[in-house]
Amino acid sequence: MNVKLEFTLNGKNVTVSTDPLRRLIDVLREDFGCTGVKEGCSEGECGACSILLNGKMVTSCLIPVGAADGQDIVTIEGLSETEKGKLIIQAFADGGAVQCGFCIPGMVVAAYSILCENPDPTEDEIRLGISGNICRCTGYDLIVDSIRLAAERGGSIWKK
Amino acid sequence: MEEVRAYIPETLKEALEIRSRTDCIPLAGGSDLMVSNKRTTGVAPSFDKPVLIIRNLKELKEISVNGKGECVIGAGCTSAEIAQSSVVPWHLRQAASRMGAVALRNSATIAGNIANASPKGDTPGPLYLLDARVRLTSLAGEREVLVSDFIVKFKTIDLHPDELITAVVVPLSERNFDYIFWHKVGTRKANAISKLTLSQAIKFDGRIVSDYRLSATATGAKTNRSREVEKLIIGKEITPALIEQVIDAFDEVISPRAMPEFRREATRRMIRRFLSVASERPENRVIDTFDGFHVTGQPEPVF
Repeated sequence: MNVKLEFTLNGKNVTVSTDPLRRLIDVLREDFGCTGVKEGCSEGECGACSILLNGKMVTSCLIPVGAADGQDIVTIEGLSETEKGKLIIQAFADGGAVQCGFCIPGMVVAAYSILCENPDPTEDEIRLGISGNICRCTGYDLIVDSIRLAAERGGSIWKK
Repeated sequence: MEEVRAYIPETLKEALEIRSRTDCIPLAGGSDLMVSNKRTTGVAPSFDKPVLIIRNLKELKEISVNGKGECVIGAGCTSAEIAQSSVVPWHLRQAASRMGAVALRNSATIAGNIANASPKGDTPGPLYLLDARVRLTSLAGEREVLVSDFIVKFKTIDLHPDELITAVVVPLSERNFDYIFWHKVGTRKANAISKLTLSQAIKFDGRIVSDYRLSATATGAKTNRSREVEKLIIGKEITPALIEQVIDAFDEVISPRAMPEFRREATRRMIRRFLSVASERPENRVIDTFDGFHVTGQPEPVF
């Protein structure tokens, strides 16, 4: 049975009438066209479908859309419009962090999540912060370096 | 009329009312249930009963200390919230901070980790060690049960159809221990499922051990703790022979299925390490597997 659900998506109030047990990733991709949210493992291990739910990084494949009712959701589409999101994306481009690109939307969300909590992370802290995001191309080093670059370039913007 | 697939209550009272009249599956973080019931891309998961979505119930989100000096953790608190709380006992914070990776810790709840009743679950080890209880609430009232009794056996819990887990109550007895130990053996430093986790705590009265506790996860069908084994050392002075006696007795308690030789040997070494270092009465309360060797604040596996 369909249920009418309301939530905030990338800063806009949206409504959807749907089966509340559909996975949030499917609703975001199919009903709202947020195809930057990628599906890798479908079981919360790979991090490709990472989004921000009430400001916290979660994997959208593990959340029934009914649990999003009344909540605040930001996907890579919304994050890439913000100053912080743009800064991370530019650092990833300049630092050579991207090869095939499939993991990158999730990696950007993870990078954002790290830097908002810790504006000046060490290499180990960055590696812990992206430990739930799997990349099969890069070997991670250039991603780690690019997150450091985003920290240095952003400076004080990460503290607010 | 179409079948109801899910209920989304806004208050705990509403959730309990639904529980009292409907056979349904409570779902909080979703990190276990959404995987075990998943179908495929673009297709909603299939559950054999209606689902009660309790992820956002505010009543289940608080962490506090009650009048008896016990830490009361709301059932819906996530691993991240538990890991970051200064009032949560040390062993439990360690386990919560090493559960999965960041995104999982922002979803997975303590009640879900208990209710899943997996022998590899991260939080039951510390909860058994600290004699923690689950608070079970229904419209008729509430009861509290030791976590070690609530988890009846592999994947089986003592939850009545009209009840919800509403809190986990952890006695702060840990503060009384002189030395504490927690070590998770995983295949990687982060985002690992436990291959074996030991929690230990000890208290001395002079040279005499006045309390000792030991629990192990991933060493059988459920988390292992044995008061009989602990009693072997309580009231005595630690000697190498006594340590070996404890080790041999605990080896009889555990029943690891996969890689049993590895799990048994690793368990023996971690017990020996903790008791022998504690008997020397070092300054540092936290006993690691290696002296002074840390990576990102966590001890390296000794094996």
